[in-house]
Amino acid sequence: MPLYFLACRVLQSIMEPYLQDVSIPVTFMEYGLHRTPQLMTPALQEELDRITEPAVVIIGYGLCGNGLAGLMAGRHTLIIPRVDDCITLLLGSYQRYITEFTAEPGTYYLTKGWLESGSHPLKEYRQLLEKYDKETADWIIDEQYRNYKRVVLVAPKQEELDAYRQQAREVADFCAERWGYRYEEFIGSDDYVKKLVTIAFRLAESSEDFLVIPPGGEVKQEMFWR
Amino acid sequence: MSDVLVQISNAVIEGRLKDIPDLTNTALSSGLTAKEILDKGLMPGMDVVGVEFKKGKKFVPEVLLSARTMQASLGILKPLLEQTGEKMTGKVVIGTVKGDLHDIGKSLVGMLLEGSGFEVVDLGKDVAPETFIDAVKKEKPNIVAMSALLTTTMRSMGHTITVLKEAGLRETVKIMVGGAPVTMDFAKQIGADGYAANAPAAVELAKQFISSN
Repeated sequence: MPLYFLACRVLQSIMEPYLQDVSIPVTFMEYGLHRTPQLMTPALQEELDRITEPAVVIIGYGLCGNGLAGLMAGRHTLIIPRVDDCITLLLGSYQRYITEFTAEPGTYYLTKGWLESGSHPLKEYRQLLEKYDKETADWIIDEQYRNYKRVVLVAPKQEELDAYRQQAREVADFCAERWGYRYEEFIGSDDYVKKLVTIAFRLAESSEDFLVIPPGGEVKQEMFWR
Repeated sequence: MSDVLVQISNAVIEGRLKDIPDLTNTALSSGLTAKEILDKGLMPGMDVVGVEFKKGKKFVPEVLLSARTMQASLGILKPLLEQTGEKMTGKVVIGTVKGDLHDIGKSLVGMLLEGSGFEVVDLGKDVAPETFIDAVKKEKPNIVAMSALLTTTMRSMGHTITVLKEAGLRETVKIMVGGAPVTMDFAKQIGADGYAANAPAAVELAKQFISSN
């Protein structure tokens, strides 16, 4: 059965090294769809339905604020990482995510994908200043981010941390000055994404790390719970 | 409906903070009661905001400005509501569940409940199940309201309900849940009594709980 990839743009750079030797069609969707989960599901459905022949479609998304809930497999088999969002994928394992989440729930993660094509508090603040007066922009950004405690730059390799440190620090300095965030760096792992791209298609049924949605099936929120 | 109430709704929908004090005072001097302004001006406006947000037609900054606008009007109305508004004779313990630091929606619901005559005990954010238990014991509320913004943390609502059961307190309260990832199905699965999709809907639900008692 043919393979397809349908993934979020924030995963592009971490997926691409494993996509090079294969001639599998890949669609990267614009970042930030999770902000409107009710629009995300139909957007992904449209892409899925566009694949005319029955296929195994590897989905590069987690539950993403329920953006995946309600997605219908139709004629395809869907393989989905069993994660709430991309942070678990970038950290490399669910266990690592839970450890970090428990240590500091108020963590704002930055990644290569998010710095390049996504959003972050500094970028949002600049956009607010274009639209509103300073007092209003200040108030809006404070309401949204004052409760977080730290910014973490996460990358699978030291070289990537080095390459994105300057951009991350700029965001972190803004957050530190405004809300007293501390800045940290994590070396994550591409293990999870590597498994997703290279071996998950062989699964016949859902496992600890991956969901397998057979033809006719529907993605449901509770499938992601561990 | 009175023009000024429509204007108040629109000011909330568009987040026009500057206009709201004058509109609120105009409504009051035209003879409308604080309760009428809340129920027929502010609430319908906020309801539209909630629906448009879910549809992706409004984003967080705009919703925040609407909430701020409503809050400014409530600030004027609050002393009057306390004097003349109906007493719901209901007490609500509200909080954002453990591990979750998002309190915008929760605070908005608390504010509207208070405006509608409920006594509100706000436990804040990142509230552990044990803290909910202690508050139920101490405050003896009619309703426990829980909020979560993350799919990671919404499961803590279920834990809190389990702990309430174990403490023998579950049947003493009605439990309502809400927040971006929460659905009616989820509310049923974890054994909550109700779910509200937005802040005005939460107030309606709380009113139903009290009147059905």
